[in-house]
Amino acid sequence: MLVSWNILKTLVQCGSDIGKVCERLTETGSEVESVTRPGKKLSGVRIGKIREIEAHPAKSSLFVAKLDLGGEDAQCVTAATNLSNGDVVAYAAPGATISDGTKMGIRDFDGVESFGMMLSAEELGVPEIGLEFGILRLPADAPLGANAVSYLGLDDVILDLSITPNRGDLLSHVGVARELYALFDDAVFTSPRIERRSDNGEWPIPFKGVFIEDAGCPGYSLGLIRDVRIAPSPIDFRVALTLLGMRPISNIVDATNYCMLLFGQPQHAFDLDTLPDREITVRAAKDKEPILTLDGKMRTMSSSDLLITSGGVPIGVGGVMGGGDSEISDKTRNVVLESAGFVSQRVSTTSRRLGIRSEAAFRFARGVDPELMDPTLSYTLSLIESWKAGNAFPTVVRAVSKIREPKKVSLTKSKMQTILHWSDLSEAGRILGRLGIRRSESDDGSCTYVIPSYRADISIEEDLIEEVARIRGYNDMPSRLPQTFHERGDAGAVTRTQFDLRACAIGRGYVEVVTYAFVSSEAVARLRFPKDDARGKPVKLANPISSDQSDMRTTLLPGLMNALSKSLAAGWRDPVRIFEQGRVFLGDGENREEREQCAGLVFPGRDFKSPYGQSEREDFFSIKGDVIALLSCRGYEAEFRQGSEPFGHAGQTADILLNGERIGWLARLKPAIEREMDYGAPVYAFEFECAPLIEKRRPSFTEIPAYPAVYRDISLLVPCAIPVSTVMEQIRASAAELLWDLRIFDVYQGKGIPEGMRSLAFSLSYRNAKRTLTEEESDEVNNIVRAKLSEKGYILR
Amino acid sequence: MTDLERHIQDIRMAFSEEIAAAETLENLDSLRVRFLGKKGEVTSLLKGLGALPPDERPRAGQFVNLLRDELEEQIRTRKDSLEEKELERLEREDHIDVTLPPRGRTGGGFHPVVETSREIIEIMAGLGFSVALGPEIEDDFYNFEALNIPPSHPARDMQDSFYFPDGKVLRTHTSPVEVRAMRAHGAPIRIVVPGKVYRRDSDPTHSPMFHQLEGLMVDTDVSIADLKGCLGALMNAFFDRPLAARYRGSYFPFTEPSLELDIECIECSGKNPSCRICKGTGWLEVAGLGMTHPDVLRAGGIDPTRYTGFAWGMGLDRMAMLKYGLTDLRVLFEGNVPYLLSGRNRSC
Ligand SMILES: [Zn+2]
Repeated sequence: MLVSWNILKTLVQCGSDIGKVCERLTETGSEVESVTRPGKKLSGVRIGKIREIEAHPAKSSLFVAKLDLGGEDAQCVTAATNLSNGDVVAYAAPGATISDGTKMGIRDFDGVESFGMMLSAEELGVPEIGLEFGILRLPADAPLGANAVSYLGLDDVILDLSITPNRGDLLSHVGVARELYALFDDAVFTSPRIERRSDNGEWPIPFKGVFIEDAGCPGYSLGLIRDVRIAPSPIDFRVALTLLGMRPISNIVDATNYCMLLFGQPQHAFDLDTLPDREITVRAAKDKEPILTLDGKMRTMSSSDLLITSGGVPIGVGGVMGGGDSEISDKTRNVVLESAGFVSQRVSTTSRRLGIRSEAAFRFARGVDPELMDPTLSYTLSLIESWKAGNAFPTVVRAVSKIREPKKVSLTKSKMQTILHWSDLSEAGRILGRLGIRRSESDDGSCTYVIPSYRADISIEEDLIEEVARIRGYNDMPSRLPQTFHERGDAGAVTRTQFDLRACAIGRGYVEVVTYAFVSSEAVARLRFPKDDARGKPVKLANPISSDQSDMRTTLLPGLMNALSKSLAAGWRDPVRIFEQGRVFLGDGENREEREQCAGLVFPGRDFKSPYGQSEREDFFSIKGDVIALLSCRGYEAEFRQGSEPFGHAGQTADILLNGERIGWLARLKPAIEREMDYGAPVYAFEFECAPLIEKRRPSFTEIPAYPAVYRDISLLVPCAIPVSTVMEQIRASAAELLWDLRIFDVYQGKGIPEGMRSLAFSLSYRNAKRTLTEEESDEVNNIVRAKLSEKGYILR
Repeated sequence: MTDLERHIQDIRMAFSEEIAAAETLENLDSLRVRFLGKKGEVTSLLKGLGALPPDERPRAGQFVNLLRDELEEQIRTRKDSLEEKELERLEREDHIDVTLPPRGRTGGGFHPVVETSREIIEIMAGLGFSVALGPEIEDDFYNFEALNIPPSHPARDMQDSFYFPDGKVLRTHTSPVEVRAMRAHGAPIRIVVPGKVYRRDSDPTHSPMFHQLEGLMVDTDVSIADLKGCLGALMNAFFDRPLAARYRGSYFPFTEPSLELDIECIECSGKNPSCRICKGTGWLEVAGLGMTHPDVLRAGGIDPTRYTGFAWGMGLDRMAMLKYGLTDLRVLFEGNVPYLLSGRNRSC
C-alpha cells in the first residue's frame, strides 16, 4: 500500500518526522518497506508562461521560446512542436536539475542561446501524466515563477506499507491517518469534509431502483452524474495517482480511484446508457454464467460469485471487476456510480478462482468498512462536480440488506495480566479510545468495548489485548524463561537416529545433501520399476510448478542421481560420496505412507592420479563397509545377500538385511542407466529404511581374553554358486564355541582351479576363554571343521 | 714388568687404535674376531698360559681375563653407538615431505540446513522442548482450518499451495503438527517441529520446498515474556553471542497477539549502511511468533480458558544462510558437492 505523505499531512498532524512515523508504523505491525522521494532530484524548476514562440532563424526543426517567469524573462530553444503563445510550462533554468539528475546550462543552438529548458512529463519523472507528445503543458492559472515541483505535488514522500491481511482498514489514507492518531499522543486527526447528500427526492431520469437478492451484498448505493464531459483529471490528481501506483485514465475513473485511495471504499462507474435496463440487481451468479470483464476476458462464473446485473444481464462481478460492455468510454454522457459493500469471503473466493487481483477485490477480501459507502460516494460526486466533469445529483439510490449491530468485546484484567504481565485497565482504555474503540461498560476486573465498524478484525478479548500491546510496544515488555519444567526436552528416537546416521556418514567422508521431495516422471521411469512395484507409481501433484517436480519421490535415488549430475556438471572430478535422509511417499489414499529413508550414492571420480600412484577406487565393497558402519552406529549388524533391483546391476545388487528382514538395497546402478546418465564410471548406491534402527541397541561388553589364541588356515575349493557367507556360516556352525574369529583372506578363480569352482582361504583363530588351548586341542577342533567341510562336498587343499 | 704384562699392554694399545678407527659394524666384527675370536690374540694368550709355571698361572690368568672383559666391554659400547648412528642415518634417509596430501577418503560435510535444525533442536531441548513430527502430505483441516485459516481467508493468498487430486495438500508450514501434537498429548506441552514445507513459489529467494522450525508451549501461565525469553535464548545460543532483538506487531491467523522478531544484523550490527545482509537496516527478520489463538487451542482439544500458549515459526534455510554465509537458497537443494564443500575442504 503506497501512501502519500502530502495527503496524510492534510488528515493528521503530529510533531514527529517521517523517520519516527515509519519506525512507529513498523513496530506496531505495518512495516514500512520503503520511503521514496519521487522529486528528490528535481531542483530549480519553475512555472513559466510562453510570451512568444517562433521558429529558429537557422534550424527548421527548432523553436525559440521567450518565457515570462512572473516578472523575470527567460529564453530557451526546444524541438517540441506542441507549444504556442500563452502556454504555461515547467521551466528549468541554468543550474536547475531534472529528474534524471542532469544539471541545466546554457547552450548555443546555431547562434541562438538556450538558457536551460522547458520540461516534458518524462523529464519531471512522471511520464504517465503527459497527455501529448512534447513539453508538459500546465493549467493556464498556474502561478508564474512559482516552484513547479511543489505545484505539481512532486515534492511528496511515498511510503510503501506492508499491510497485514487483517487490517483492511489501513488500505486507505484515512485509515493510516487514524492509525497515526492512535500511535502518537500529540496527533490531531481531521477527516475529509464530506457534503452529506440527502436520500429523498427523485433522479431527473426514470430509474427503477437497486435490488439486493443475495446477503453477500450488505448494501449498495448508486449516484448519478449527467452531462458527463470525459477528459483528463486535473494535473495534480494525475501526479498523485501516478505516485500512488495507479495509471491516470479519465476524470470519472480517476475520481473513483482517488477516493478509494483516500477512504478505502472501492467504487465502480457504469455508462448508464449502455445498461440493459434502468435498474440494478445484485444476485448470485448462475453456474457457468458468462460475463465479459473490462480486461477484455470472457469469464465463467460459479454460483458462489456475486454478480451485478441490469435487466438480468451481468454488468459486473461484485467487488472484483466491472463488465466490459458498460465501461466508461470517451462517448459516455451519463454515469451511475456504484459504492457498495461485498462480503469479504465471497469476494476473496471469486477473485482467487478467477485469478483477478484488482485493487477492489484486494480491499473487499480484507474487509471494507460498511459505513464508508455513502460518505465516499458523496465525496466522489462532489469531487467530480468540482472538476466540472458532469452534474452530480444529490440524491442517491440505495438498498441495504441488513442493519449491522455494533460489536462488543470485553477485556479482563486477569487475561491481560496473564498475557502481558501488565494490567492497567485505565491506560488500556485510553489506548483503545485513541483507536476509536470506546468503553461502554466497566466494573472492577473488566471493561466492555464497542468496536467501530472499520475494525472487523477485532472480535475477541485477545484482539483487544493485541491492540493495547502493539501500541504500548513489545520491546519494553519483560522477558523470562518458563517458570516450570515438566520433563526434559527430547529430540526423540527418530531424530536421534537421523543424527547418529548423519554423523557416521559424514565421518566416513560423505557429503550430506537435501534434494527436492518431488521429482520428474522421467526420473522415476528411468528406474524401470515393474508394474507391481509401488515405487513406480508415485503420488502426483495436481498443480506442479514444473514437469521437473511433478511426482512425490518414492525413493531417494533420483534426487541423489540428480545431485551427482549437478556435481559433475560443475566440473567435479574427485570421488563423489553423498547421502540424504528424508521421506519417501508410497501408496495412495488410505494406504498412503511417508517413510523415513537413508540413502547414499558413490561415484569413484574421473581422475585417479595421485602422488602415491593410482589412488584406491571406490567399489561395491568400500560402500558395503559404509552400510555396515551406518547400521552398526545404531548397534545393529548388517547382513547381505545377493538381491535384485530393477535399477541395479544384475550381478552386483545386494539386499541389506537386519535380523533376517530386508530393510533396503546396495547396488551398482544398471550399466544401461549409467550410460543414459552419461556418468562415464560405475555408480554405487544404497538405501534403507530408518524405522528398524530407531530402537538403539546397546553393545554389551565382555572381558579381555586372558588366554592366547591359536591360528589355523583352511583352504578349499567351493562351487562358485555357493556364497562365501554360507561357507563361513558352515565353518562357524561346525567349530562351535572354540572359534574366536574367522576371516577370509583369499578368493581365487581361474587358472589351475576347476571350471565352476573357486578357491577360498580362511584364517581361523581358536581360543578357550578359561585356559590356554593346546596345539592338540586346536588340531582336534580344526580337523572336525575340515571334516564337516569335506562332507559338504568341498575339496580341501 | 713381565713379558706377559708387556704383551697385554701391546694388545691393549693396538686394540684402542683399531677400535677408534672402526666406523662400521663390519669393521667392528672383524676386530672382534681378530682379538677375541677362536684364533684371536687374546684367546691365544689364554691358551699360552699353560706354558707358565703353575704359581704364576693364577695371576697371569687374572690379567688376561681382565683384558678380555675390557675389550669385550669396549666392543659392546662401540657397537651400541654404531647401531644408534646407523638408525639415525636410516631416519634421515626415510625423511618424508609431510606437506603432501593425505591418502584415502577426504572428509565429508554436513548440509547447513540439517545442521541448523540439529543445533536448534539441541538448544531447545535444553529449555524442555521435545521434537514432534507430522506428515508432509496433510489434510486441509490441519494445514488451514484448524489454524484459523478458512477457505476464503486472505492468508491463503500468502501461501499458494501444492495440491493432490484427492484434495490433500503438501503442508505449507509446520504448524499443522502443533494441532496434531496438542490432540495427541494435551496440555501442558512443549514441542519443536522441524521439517520440510512446500509453497508454489520459485525465484532466487523462494524455493518450492524449504524448511521450517516451529515451536509451541502451552501451560497454565504462559505469557509474551516467556516467548521473548525462549526466543532470545535460542537466538543468542544459535549465533553464539548476545544479540539485540526487536519485537514488532504483526499478523498471523493462528496467533493473537502476533509478533515478528528482528535480531541485530549478525554481519554489521547495524554499522554498515550498505550491508548486503540487512540492506542497511541493521535488523534481520528471523521469526514470526505470538500467543496461540484460542481457536487453535480449541482445535487442539485444549481449553483456552485454562491454558495459554505461545508459538513461533522460523525458516531454517534462512537461519542456515545467515549463520553459514550462504547467498542462494535454491542451490541448497541441488546436492551440488563442490558447493556443499566450498569453504571447508580446500583441495590441494
Ligand atoms: Zn548488516
